[in-house]
Amino acid sequence: MSNPILRAAHVSKHYTIGERRAVVLNDITLALEPGEFTVISGASGSGKTTLLTILSGLDKPSIGRVWLAGKDITDLDENGLAPLRNRLIGFVFQAFHLVPSLTSLENIMFPAELNRDPDAVEKASHLLQRVGLWERRHNRPEQLSGGEKQRVAICRALVNNPRLIFADEPTGNLDSENSREVVELLLELQQEFNTTLLLATHSRSIADRADRILTLHDGRLVDDGLPS
Amino acid sequence: MMIHYRFLWEELRYGGKQALTFIICVALSIATLTALNSFRRDVHGSLIDEARALQGGDIVIHAHQPLSEKLRATVDALERDNRLYQQRTVEFYTVALSETKGDSLFSSIKAVGPGYPFFGTITLDSGRPLGEALEPGTVVVAREVLDRLGLMMGNRLIIGDTDFEIVDVVNFESMRPVSFLSFGPRIFISMADVDQLGLLGRGSRVEHEILLKLTDPAEADELVKILGASATPRLERVETAKNARSRVKIFFDNLLFFLSCISILTLMLSGIGMQGSLSAILYQKQKIIAVTKAFGASNRFLLTQYLIMVSCMGAFGSIIGIGLGYVIKRLFPLLFGDLVPQGVGYAFHPVDTLEGIILGILVVTVFTLLPLHRLGTVKPVMIFRHETEAGKRSTAALLTGIICGLFLCLLVIRQIDDVKIGIFFVIGLVLLIGAVSLTASACLWLLKRVTLPTLVLRQAAKSLYRPGNASRSIIVTLTSAISVLLVIFLLKLNLFATFIESYPENAPNLFCIDIQQDQKDLFQTVVGEDVLLFPVIRARLLSINSQAIDPQQERERKTDNLGREFNLTYRNSLLDDEVITEGGTLYGLGKNLPTGVVAVSVLDSIAEIGEIDLDDLLRFNIQGVEIDAQVTSIRSRTKSRLYPFFYFVFEPATLEAAPQTFFAAMHLPKELIPDMITAIVAQLPNVSTINVADIAERFGQLMKRLSVIVTFFASFSIMAGCLILVSTIFATRLDRIRETVYYKVLGADSSFVLRVLTCEQAMLALLSSIVAVVFAEAAAWLICTTVFNIVYQPHWLVAAMTVVSSILLVVIIGLASSIGIIQQRPAMYLQQQNNT
Ligand SMILES: Nc1ncnc2c1ncn2[C@@H]1O[C@H](COP(=O)(O)OP(=O)(O)O)[C@@H](O)[C@H]1O
Ligand SMILES: [Mg+2]
Repeated sequence: MSNPILRAAHVSKHYTIGERRAVVLNDITLALEPGEFTVISGASGSGKTTLLTILSGLDKPSIGRVWLAGKDITDLDENGLAPLRNRLIGFVFQAFHLVPSLTSLENIMFPAELNRDPDAVEKASHLLQRVGLWERRHNRPEQLSGGEKQRVAICRALVNNPRLIFADEPTGNLDSENSREVVELLLELQQEFNTTLLLATHSRSIADRADRILTLHDGRLVDDGLPS
Repeated sequence: MMIHYRFLWEELRYGGKQALTFIICVALSIATLTALNSFRRDVHGSLIDEARALQGGDIVIHAHQPLSEKLRATVDALERDNRLYQQRTVEFYTVALSETKGDSLFSSIKAVGPGYPFFGTITLDSGRPLGEALEPGTVVVAREVLDRLGLMMGNRLIIGDTDFEIVDVVNFESMRPVSFLSFGPRIFISMADVDQLGLLGRGSRVEHEILLKLTDPAEADELVKILGASATPRLERVETAKNARSRVKIFFDNLLFFLSCISILTLMLSGIGMQGSLSAILYQKQKIIAVTKAFGASNRFLLTQYLIMVSCMGAFGSIIGIGLGYVIKRLFPLLFGDLVPQGVGYAFHPVDTLEGIILGILVVTVFTLLPLHRLGTVKPVMIFRHETEAGKRSTAALLTGIICGLFLCLLVIRQIDDVKIGIFFVIGLVLLIGAVSLTASACLWLLKRVTLPTLVLRQAAKSLYRPGNASRSIIVTLTSAISVLLVIFLLKLNLFATFIESYPENAPNLFCIDIQQDQKDLFQTVVGEDVLLFPVIRARLLSINSQAIDPQQERERKTDNLGREFNLTYRNSLLDDEVITEGGTLYGLGKNLPTGVVAVSVLDSIAEIGEIDLDDLLRFNIQGVEIDAQVTSIRSRTKSRLYPFFYFVFEPATLEAAPQTFFAAMHLPKELIPDMITAIVAQLPNVSTINVADIAERFGQLMKRLSVIVTFFASFSIMAGCLILVSTIFATRLDRIRETVYYKVLGADSSFVLRVLTCEQAMLALLSSIVAVVFAEAAAWLICTTVFNIVYQPHWLVAAMTVVSSILLVVIIGLASSIGIIQQRPAMYLQQQNNT
């Protein structure tokens, strides 16, 4: 337990809006072990998304440091972060964020192509078949339903076989039926690919399936424990 | 009507860059037109509307020989009735010599009576009227004559057989408002001296003019009819000052026509830019508009707010545009130099400002109709949808399109001042745009189907199909703009190449005309070498296949006309640079011609103009004798136009006996030409010499000046084209930001983003410019071979440079207007998206 895939030390984030200084994250320290499924739970506005963006290097903390796979990413610039995002990390968002001009197959291939992976097509096709969307491979995001979009997004997150997946309320835009399917899929694939999963949600039912739950309240980590 | 000030202010603030683009487009659209129209009014005011000052009389009778008895009698009778006053002028070119006969100068001599002119002004250095200064035996000369011949007031000047005392200097002549259209400086002599010169009557090209001043100017048209009835058809032309075609008027009409075309192009491109930037503002606001509607704002409310916003921006743009127009007009003296007629001012008048305002209002109205119309189609449901649906074409959109089209037609017709040409212009433009947009669609279709080798290229190609990107419209506008500009450039290059640069090394550069039969030997002695003398017989073409030539109609032609006096010649062989294209031999060897009909060989260029074919029957009037000739061959020329050429060539037997003069063309080192002219004129005063080298140089200067002017006006079109690009990038800003964020989240570095963006712009530019090159080459070729009748060279290097510079320009503009997009940090964007 001494080789965490992700480590954050005394991370704080504040925004200055006019005169007012809003503290969104307050002195958060944590470490994730490889293969773990961790849920960040908390009410809306508690800082889940902010924490996720900082841990994944999409944003910088105001104070504190973050290590990804043993590497300090706090001071890396966008270009330094790019290869890490591409190979080490996968993202799944609440609002899907698929590239609208690409088909579902192309969306999945894209990170692999960026990585100059010669097997991009095979890997993407395999994933698309795996999630049962093979017939939809030539459809663009606008032609897919929410659940389908999220399944494509999950494939995209996995195509480069990342060590860590960040998912920010992946079911937030889905109905309960689709939510269940997407969570199922995410967990199955996490097992198959043997990756670490960090998922932000305020849904109890998802949290119950986690190995570990971090609870945020007003930007503070108030609880770190197992599902009840 | 309710105005929501805070709403408006916020809209303007957040649409800042787009609003700026919009305003600049408005300004650009009217600036050059306003300046140009103001200039046009000035030129018209001083030249065309002051027709009497330009012509010197209410009515002008023009001929190449003294007045016929019949017409003279009519004029005299009308004068006796006190209906008019008359005076005569004689004008011709000849070489004047300094008193030592050491220097010579090709000059434009005008012999006038004491009362000259009836109208207009001539100012002399001394301040005296011309009639008072000019006495028999004296001359009044332009300053240039003194300077170039090294003479002073009181010195003597030799013209023909006579010498004159220089008594004054003329510095303004309203009949000659520009100097660049004449080949030599002015010398006034007294009418009483004309006959002593020994120059008239020996074949010199002389313009005889009778100026008439009417007691009642309202009678002008009626008197023209009366006089016209007495005039010898073809030989004598009677015109009111208003209708008289002067070369100055034709020159300015053509130049202003051309510049108007370019300015209209600028206006259209700016209009598209306007439409684009307004669409960008509205597109960005789509969600807000949808929300506003969901909360009950009516279309009326929104439309009012945006109309006010557009009006404010339009007014602001118009003010800037009028200011810019003023600045441009202040640049005209620099730009036009000596092309501008003396006495034309550079003031900007209230009417110019008014025109700018009206134009601004119209342009803004027409080009904002469509985007504002779309405002009504935004539905509240769009709040819930992420992707925007492509705008469906409605009848209303079609209607606005038609209104735009009509407005443009009217504008073009008004600007070009000629309904027929205006309609042709519009049809041509529509055809061009249609063809270009078809080609653009085809290219995009192809691009979609090919698999590009790298990810960057594939992504860039994908971006071209981004919704709201309007790649096709961008390609169409870019292509149209580039091809129009390239056509202008190619034409310029080809005209330069034909008339100036490729002036053949040993082409003749000194022409001598009017050498008399008995002067042939003397001429050869003076010139000192064996030069070829071509016989020249002056004649007119009366009919083609019994179809009479209508001189009036012929004069309307923009090319050479069939109504003028032609130089016929006779010989048995082809010139070095001639080939027979039809008929086999010059005079149809062995062909049986009807009795009384002679053989004639016709040059292809005039054959085209007159639609003359092999075996056609031409009737000529050779100084009173009518002859019928059948076309036995059509010739073509292989060399530059600067070699002597003859439209109609006859067998020696046909013309040998006709009254004739001789024409010589020779090549001399440039620096020896002035001395040779001096020597020829000193011995043979009646021989006219034409220094072609000098003329070519002046022509070259004129062409260069014109090309600077055209480039200046065209640069505004380029600016407008750039603004279109900027506005479309703004219009797709949100999509571009989104893509950039996605690329970054998925692990692309900024170099990838930059490369995709660069490639996208480069592809756009590459497609547009290649299509443009194809269209421009075709159009320029067509114009060169049909209108100018010159050999066409495609100048592929220039075409390639156009492609390269278009790509550079488009990429640079693309990157510059995307700086904020590339720098976009993912976290901020994602937060915003999650929270909305
Ligand atoms: N760019 C920002 N500027 C200011 N405040 C922000 C910004 N981004 C987020 N916040 C604030 O931070 C808090 C946490 O937001 P977020 O991380 O999105 O919470 P969650 O994802 O748990 O709903 C919220 O109160 C939000 O208003
Ligand atoms: Mg959140």
